[in-house]
Amino acid sequence: MRGTVLNINSLTKVYPDGSRANDGITLVVRAGQVTGLLGHNGAGKTTLLHQVVGLVRPTSGRIRLLGRDPVADPAYARTVCSFQPQSHAPLTGVTARQAIEIVGRIRGGGRRAVQSRTTELLAALDIEEWADAPAERLSGGVRRLIAFCMAIVTPGRLVMLDEPTNDVDPVRRRLLWERIRTLAAAGHAVVLVTHNVAEAERTIDQVVVLNHGRVVATGSPADLAAGHEMRLELARPGGISTPEWCRAVHRDGDRMTMTLAAADASRAVAWALAHTARFALHSAGLEDVYIRLTDSGEGDRGAVLVS
Amino acid sequence: MVRFWFRSYALLVRWTALRLRFVLPLVLIVQSFLAVGIVVGFAYLVPDLDPATALYLSTGAPTLGLITIGMVMAPQLIALSKTEGTFTYNRTLPVPRTAVLAADLTTWLVTGTPGLLLGLLTAVLRFDLHLRVSPVVVGAVLLVALTATTAGFALAYAAPPATTSLATQALVFVALMFSPINFPAERLPDWLQAAHRVLPFQYMAQAVRESLTSPPGGIAALPYAVLGAWCLAGLAITLRVMTRRP
Repeated sequence: MRGTVLNINSLTKVYPDGSRANDGITLVVRAGQVTGLLGHNGAGKTTLLHQVVGLVRPTSGRIRLLGRDPVADPAYARTVCSFQPQSHAPLTGVTARQAIEIVGRIRGGGRRAVQSRTTELLAALDIEEWADAPAERLSGGVRRLIAFCMAIVTPGRLVMLDEPTNDVDPVRRRLLWERIRTLAAAGHAVVLVTHNVAEAERTIDQVVVLNHGRVVATGSPADLAAGHEMRLELARPGGISTPEWCRAVHRDGDRMTMTLAAADASRAVAWALAHTARFALHSAGLEDVYIRLTDSGEGDRGAVLVS
Repeated sequence: MVRFWFRSYALLVRWTALRLRFVLPLVLIVQSFLAVGIVVGFAYLVPDLDPATALYLSTGAPTLGLITIGMVMAPQLIALSKTEGTFTYNRTLPVPRTAVLAADLTTWLVTGTPGLLLGLLTAVLRFDLHLRVSPVVVGAVLLVALTATTAGFALAYAAPPATTSLATQALVFVALMFSPINFPAERLPDWLQAAHRVLPFQYMAQAVRESLTSPPGGIAALPYAVLGAWCLAGLAITLRVMTRRP
């Protein structure tokens, strides 16, 4: 088993207004591993990252970062952890290259190493054409990519990225995911927050799903999806009787979605072929699992309210 | 450790100077204009200036320049950096907090110097003044600039950006019209005189004036003590806010 970089135990953060942003969070992040934090807006993802990097003080619980306590020693946390905040990086008055290089130097990189690494990153993310333009005038996606470069130009042993794919176009998002894998391959531990669940599924090793400040699931994307039902989607006007293998059905206009056990897949395909040529059978992806995990939380709350 | 501090400091000065390189020249021009403007403009307001009043105006103008830079322009740009997210971003960088503060202070002190000299030069030419400059002037100007800037920083870091913006407008008005900087304290009502015994403005003016004129009675120590205390308080509040974790 590879070395533990971050070990969080029963971490709870209650803000002065009484909101419980993190509620007993426990998780382990290892070197060479990409961990994805998933959760709705307000699920406590950013608060969690802010506690690790020393911007927010936990109410209770323990954080160990490479064996040390970042709460007692935030200066140490900042040296081993490079962080891309969710808000835009400060780019007023500077070019992309200047911003990336100076942050790379501030993070301890040597002049030459930082220069060549900056050039490499700008090329790898295909944003060279804006390298020497005033960065504040660039589009949100490009600025997000520049902020990403600023975080990884001289990467710490832990790299934390808060929604790095926001506003970024699909082609460059792929390049970004590749760089994240490259970082992990070089031995860095990466923790990222994203709402881009379907894309993240291909990149992350460990998923941590947060809901209302609690961890509701942890594991590899494949582990989380295993044993889950499949989905049959078909478009067909008019009513058709529900077959016996169908566990649940959802109608949305002329679209129908049925869930079924993986063992019933061939029966479902045969049945669908008999009714229509337009259908699709999906295995449960991380996104389905995620929605089910977070929806059930909402459902429980609803049930409590009506009973 | 010391090397790490200086390395961080040097890089942060570059980072701040790069970010503000389009704004700082403008600040420099406005501040120079203000310092020169006070000397020239007040002379229109009071046509028959006696030498004592001329002296107050000439030494008050550079002091007001330093106050404008430190207590108005610096806090306004810090308020802007809080709105833009630079403040939070810098808090995630692996640099000592004191290096961040020192780098910001350096930028502002350097920006304030040309206006100071220009204001003084204008005064000497306009009023045909004969200054007896003491070597203490370097320390006096540095302390005044530092006190103004740290007080401005403390305000900008502790208060919400909108409040900072309004408060700095009020501050410059008070400093210009209701502070014994360009005129002797005796002209103010008693209650305002009492307030100024605690506020830093009259001590700033006195420190600069005495260091430029070397009065026969010698240079008073009280202004330096009061300004030192204000400076420390400003630094303490600023560092406290910079390291605060909610």
